[in-house]
Amino acid sequence: MKKIISLLLALSFSLTLSGCRQGKKRYEAQFLQLFDTVTTVVAYMDSKDGFTEFSSMIRDTLNTYHQLYDIYHDYDGVQNIKTINDNAGKRPVKVDNRIIELLKFSKRTYAETGGRCNIALGAVLKIWHDYREAGIDNPESAVLPEMDELKEAARHTDIDKIIIDEENSTVFLSDPKMSLDVGAVAKGYAVEQTARLAQEKGYDSALISVGGNVRAIGSKDGKGKPWNIGVQNPDDNSELLMTEISGRSVVTSGIYQRYYTVNGREYHHIIDPQTLMPSEYYKAVTIICPDSGMADYLSTAVFNMPYEEGLAYINSLSGVEAVWVMRDGEVRYSDNFKQYVKSD
Amino acid sequence: MRFFKRTDIIIVSSILLISLAIWVFYGLFYADTPVMAEIYYESRLVERVDLGKNEDRVFTIPQNEHVVFRVFRDGSICFEESDCRDRICIRSGKLKTVGQSAACLPNKIILKIVRKDRYSKDDPDIIIG
Repeated sequence: MKKIISLLLALSFSLTLSGCRQGKKRYEAQFLQLFDTVTTVVAYMDSKDGFTEFSSMIRDTLNTYHQLYDIYHDYDGVQNIKTINDNAGKRPVKVDNRIIELLKFSKRTYAETGGRCNIALGAVLKIWHDYREAGIDNPESAVLPEMDELKEAARHTDIDKIIIDEENSTVFLSDPKMSLDVGAVAKGYAVEQTARLAQEKGYDSALISVGGNVRAIGSKDGKGKPWNIGVQNPDDNSELLMTEISGRSVVTSGIYQRYYTVNGREYHHIIDPQTLMPSEYYKAVTIICPDSGMADYLSTAVFNMPYEEGLAYINSLSGVEAVWVMRDGEVRYSDNFKQYVKSD
Repeated sequence: MRFFKRTDIIIVSSILLISLAIWVFYGLFYADTPVMAEIYYESRLVERVDLGKNEDRVFTIPQNEHVVFRVFRDGSICFEESDCRDRICIRSGKLKTVGQSAACLPNKIILKIVRKDRYSKDDPDIIIG
């Protein structure tokens, strides 16, 4: 009997210790003021104070990137991407290294994806943006941009005319009519850099999402239990799939919220650089890979590729997987995507 | 001397039965813990809505009566009306699953679905799309 009591005592003691390790509480914070979308931070932590300190650090870091990568607003003492655009054809602008790194990353991936996502497409995207805004404000008089207008703007989208001088930390747009629009990559890139900073500071378990650009730092419990990231069906918000990831990023590009309607037809915001029109291949594309900047960029680039080309490209990349929701609702997966799908 | 006494077996069996009962209770209770909708205004929690009441109703929050929410009998909730210009909040549709959220950025309102009580580690952490 003594043996049994000893065994029970040992068992209960080990369970108590296990409970202590797992006793961290789930905290979640959301911020509205970053990148014109909702930012969510999730972490299991010992105390609310610890989480507040962590989420404040994440918010402040993202806010710095938000200001640097903003194309619409000026900030006191900040030379941002809007400053570069404002000085197109005029003068090089001295900028923070975090802008230079983003532009280098975007130029590199532009070449790798055959130009399917171009941060120098600003002149074209601005036309669509203005027509979309006007159409949202006055739905009865909503119209499409003229193709001639789009083609004229497209003459000023040469990514090689972004002149980066790393030695002097300057960026110069040598075409006065060109402008940068980093909307397809800035959020994901900022999330990636912020996640890396958090890891350098010793945080090994958290989730950061900026407008659906999700990056997991480590696992949920620090011991390998993955985070559960759901992707919803673009048609009815039901669950399309539930993924399990640790230390990776999940990003979706979709067409079902940001659009305007012309003559009963919806025109969304993802513009194909080749046709200069809203891309028509899919309803949504989701990318999973370790780097959130790459996931964000690829979600747009692959959205602008025909399926066979996108599938071959994704399958050629190491550690990158994708899922496509076709226009008719069919769901297609890259070769190894299903390893991330939660099974139960 | 017998290795087991009758009372020993009763004690051990009782402990095992109690453990089993607790395990079953937690499994049932927390696996199906009802979900709530939380509404945040300027990042402050201003309303919690029980989605398990089998009711169909519309309501507003005191902080902004131009934004209307609707709860459905099936346990879902949505932005029904809003005075914002882009209407992205309304286009976000019905929400009912833990981890889903929608926002009306111009009105600084977030609507999200959470567990009523404790989160299970198998719950969705966030839902995107």
